[in-house]
Formats: sequence, C-alpha cells, structure tokens
Amino acid sequence: MASDNAILVADDRTPASLRRRIQEARLPWIPLAILVVILFCAIFANLVSPHDPGEKDVFNKLQPPFQSADHILGTDRLGKDMLSRLIYGARTMLQVTAPSMVVAILAGTVVGLVSGYSGRWVDSVLMRITDAVLGFPSILVALLIVTYLGTGVWNVMIAIAATQWARFARMIRGEVLAIRDRDFVVLAQIYGVSSGMIVWRHLFPNVINTLMVLTSVSVGQVILLEASLSFLGLGLRPGDPAWGILVAEGREFLTQAWWIALFPGILITVVVMAFNFFGDWLRDYLDPRLRRAG
Amino acid sequence: MTIYIARRLLEGFVTLVALSFVVFGSVHLTGDPARFLLPISNDHDEAVYEAQKKAYGLDKPFIIQYANFLYKAVQLDFGNSFTARRPVREILLERIPATVHLALSGMVLAIVIGVPLGIISAVKRDTILDRVCKTFAIFGMAAPQFWVAIMLIIVLAGYLDLLPAYGRGDTQGWLPEWSQIPDMIRHLILPAFVLALAIIAAIMRLARSAMLEVLDSDYVKFAQVKGMSDRVVIWKHAARNALIPVITFGGISLAGLLNGSVVVEVVFAWPGVGLMLLEGVLSNNFPQVEGAIMVSGAAYILTALIVDIMYGYADPRVRPN
Repeated sequence: MASDNAILVADDRTPASLRRRIQEARLPWIPLAILVVILFCAIFANLVSPHDPGEKDVFNKLQPPFQSADHILGTDRLGKDMLSRLIYGARTMLQVTAPSMVVAILAGTVVGLVSGYSGRWVDSVLMRITDAVLGFPSILVALLIVTYLGTGVWNVMIAIAATQWARFARMIRGEVLAIRDRDFVVLAQIYGVSSGMIVWRHLFPNVINTLMVLTSVSVGQVILLEASLSFLGLGLRPGDPAWGILVAEGREFLTQAWWIALFPGILITVVVMAFNFFGDWLRDYLDPRLRRAG
Repeated sequence: MTIYIARRLLEGFVTLVALSFVVFGSVHLTGDPARFLLPISNDHDEAVYEAQKKAYGLDKPFIIQYANFLYKAVQLDFGNSFTARRPVREILLERIPATVHLALSGMVLAIVIGVPLGIISAVKRDTILDRVCKTFAIFGMAAPQFWVAIMLIIVLAGYLDLLPAYGRGDTQGWLPEWSQIPDMIRHLILPAFVLALAIIAAIMRLARSAMLEVLDSDYVKFAQVKGMSDRVVIWKHAARNALIPVITFGGISLAGLLNGSVVVEVVFAWPGVGLMLLEGVLSNNFPQVEGAIMVSGAAYILTALIVDIMYGYADPRVRPN
C-alpha cells in the first residue's frame, strides 16, 4: 500500500497525469471561459474598452447597434458608447460584489465557527439571529438598511454583506457540529490546546471545501441582488456604468432604443448562469454529499 | 401536534417582535427622529424641536416609546406619510390588496406552468422537450426579474401591443366588479409571470426529480405491466404522489412572493406595498417605510407559519416528539 501511494504521489507531478486529472474532473469549460473573459474585462477595463465610458459622442446619440464599427453595440441618449459602458459595468460589478462577499464570508465563517464550537447559549443566541436574517427576503433587509444609512455604493455593499453572511454562518456551524466531537479535536482539547487554536488549526481547515462550494453557489444570487439594488436606484448614481443602472436607463427608451436595456440584461443572465454552472460543478467535484442538499 | 403549533406560534411571535424592534430601533440608531421631522429652516429653533419631541412622545424613555410604537403598529397606525401628507394606514389599506392579488396570481401561474412542464420533462426524459424545459429552468433562475420584465414590456406591450405595460387598470380594492375582471386579468398577466419566473423554474426542477423517482417505483411499474394506459399511470398514479413536495414548496414560496414583488411592482408601476416601500426609501419617508416593512414582514412570518402548520398536519415527520 505504502509503495502504491508513493508511486501515485510521484505520478501526480508529471504533466501527463495532470492533464489526465483535468480531463477526469470534467471542468465546465464554457462557463469558465465566460468567467475568465468577464474577469479580464473587469480588471483591464481601461485597456479593453474602445471608449471612455463617460465620453459623449454628441453627433451619434441613440445610435442602434451593429451600424458603425466605432459603436458596435450602439450608443445611449448622451452618445456614450454602450460596449465601453458594459465593459466598465463588469468592473463595477466586481468592485461592489467582491468586497461585500469577502466581508460576508469572513463574518459568516467566524459566527459559524464560534457558534458551532462553543455551543450552549452562545450558539442559541447566534443561531436565532442567523435564522431571523435568513427568514427574510434579502431585498427587504437590504431596503431597510439603505433606508436608514442612505443610498450609495458603500451602503449597498453593507446591505449585501448583512444579508449574505447568515447563509455561511448556518452552513459552517453545521459542519463544525459534525466534526467537533471527532478524535483529533478531542485529543487537542485533552492536550490543552487553546480554543482559539483548535478553531483555527483544526476546525477551520475542515470547512474550507464547504466554504468554497457555498461561495461559488451564492455568487450568482449576490450579483442578482446587486443588480436589482442598482436598478432600483439605491446604489451608484444614474449615469455610472453598472449593469443594473443601464437596464434602468433603457427603461426610458423602451421601443426607441431597445438595445440599451437588452445587452446589460443578457450579460447579467450569462454571468449568473456561468457562476451557477461552475458552482454546481464545484459542489459535485469537492463534496458529493452536498449534491442533493443544494 | 398542539405542542408543535404552540412552539411554532411562539417562534413566529418572537420573530415579529424582533422585527419590530429592529425597525423601531434603526430610527433611533441613525439619529434623533425629532430632528428628521423638523423643517429645514427651523433646524436651530430649539423651542420647535422640544415641542416636536413632546408631540410625538419622543421625550419619554426608549422602552415606553417602543411600547407605544407596538401599540400603534398593531392598529397599522404609523403616523402620516411625509410625502403624501395623509396617514400611512390609508395608503397601506389601498396597497395591500394589489400586492396580495399579484402574489396569489404569481403562485397560481407558478403551479399551473411549473408542474405540467416538470412532469412532461420527466416523462419525456432526454428528449428535445426535456432539454427545452431544462434550459428554460436554468434561464429562469439566472435572468434578473427587472430585465425580463422590461423585455416582455418591449415585445408584448410595445411592439405587439397585446397587453398593458403598467398599472392595475381600473381595479381597486379586494374585489373588482364583474365587468372589470377581464381588464384586471390583462393587467395581471405580465407582472404575475415575471414574479413567478424563478419559482416556475424551481417548481419545474422539483416536479421533474420527484416524478423521475416515482416513475421508477414498483407500483408505477406494476400499473404499467397491468396494461393501464400511459395517461392514467402518469397523471393518476405517479403525478399524485410526486406532487406532495411540490405543492408544499408552492405554499412556502407564496411567502417569498409577497415580498419578492418590490422589483416587479416598480417595473410595472403596480400600486402595491413593494412600490410604496421603495417610494418611501427613496424619499426618506420613514413612517411609510416602517409601515410597509412591518406589514410585509408580518405577512411573511404569518404565511410561513400557516404553511408550516399545514405541513405539520400533512407530514407527521416534521413534528417534534
């Protein structure tokens, strides 16, 4: 057995076996490609986009798409290039969703770990709060937060984080409950390892897979929430390049300029679909137990 | 069962109190409500400020103010809307029927479209029909509601001019006159469909997998061996059993529909509680926001409670011992 393992380990390092492992993983190539392209556009928006998103081509207002090479996807009512605004929209999406997701994941993980490991009243109190947040539709909680903090990007980010952490807390707590009585944890306790150290070194590494799966499954929902909030006019200012705002602007020109609302919506749908496919794949790949639970 | 209901009622009550506390507390957290109420020009007139404080009972201790708020909230008394300059209660009573109509229509559509599609998808597994249904489900879960709504308005209301693009027509209150019903339905179709889209997708997936499981069971196979027609086996034997979880899900999603309607109500200018909520949020109209959120929240908690209790009757396994 030992020698078999040794061979396997050595074998893992050859390029041929790496290729085979990638093939066996059945990676979702199309969604991955879409996500890579969008991410590339978001990061290098200034290099990729043909125009500045705020630049006004006053002679070509409301130009339909596929009419000129200069504005492939047309222009809006001020003559701003739609393609450039869409590309910068990808950057906006990344700037708003990524930090709020990070905060939500951190907060949720800490609450989940503490709640699951300490048990008793700490657990009861934290889980009551978690359930209360989970019990309400995200959009309602987000609206309540924006009402009292005011509109703006920062407050939308706070609202997203405030509604999303609970899912992570619930899931991580469940995982911790399942492993906290296992031998390696009990032995560490007997050995006198501090609680903080047990949580960090013994429990946390065991929930990372769950965390990754839940993150990739949630991203789509978060993008939809962000888009809805900016569509409702609660986040960025009108005129800023965000996909939700673009759809809202297109709403004023329904039949005159259908392209303003059409393209950003397609982009949101495609990106959310790509994340959903990728999340499903990651779930099946990392943790087949979750396959039916989701 | 009594214990289960009692426990569930208690939980619902606690959540409701927690919600009211958050709604009430957030006004105090973000500043002095008496200052919000002051006209801007009188900002520094302390006498007006003190009078204002007294008039709204804001000079009393926090806990008494909270008790007052609860007492009034139960009667839907949230004060006057800043923008409409009339009681929030009046606005709420006008808006609630519209939201309930929309949510119920959305649920009916979700079940009427989602269940048959899911069953057909399972029966015709791996055919083109199944693929089309699956693609529709994937799309329905990923497409943003507001965008689907606008696209449907452009095509069906704009270019084809088949359905009204916004509003509720002449319908007011709970029950329209008989002659108004066709008009009411025409106005309901688009918003109800958009509202239901994600749930149609979810119900379809659920019905499909439940149906596949049942179709694989012995009693269905036995019915087929017995020589019964496909139609009878599928719709009488299999579907009836497969649908129990689906119907439960439909009930639970009604709670979500009552609140998921903010975006849909805004796009379709549907005069419901969701639109009222957003109008309040955008104009810092606190009484209106408080009223809308408390009503939506209470409706949500209540619906979830009723569904849970009904589920407890239907499926003894969820009851604790």
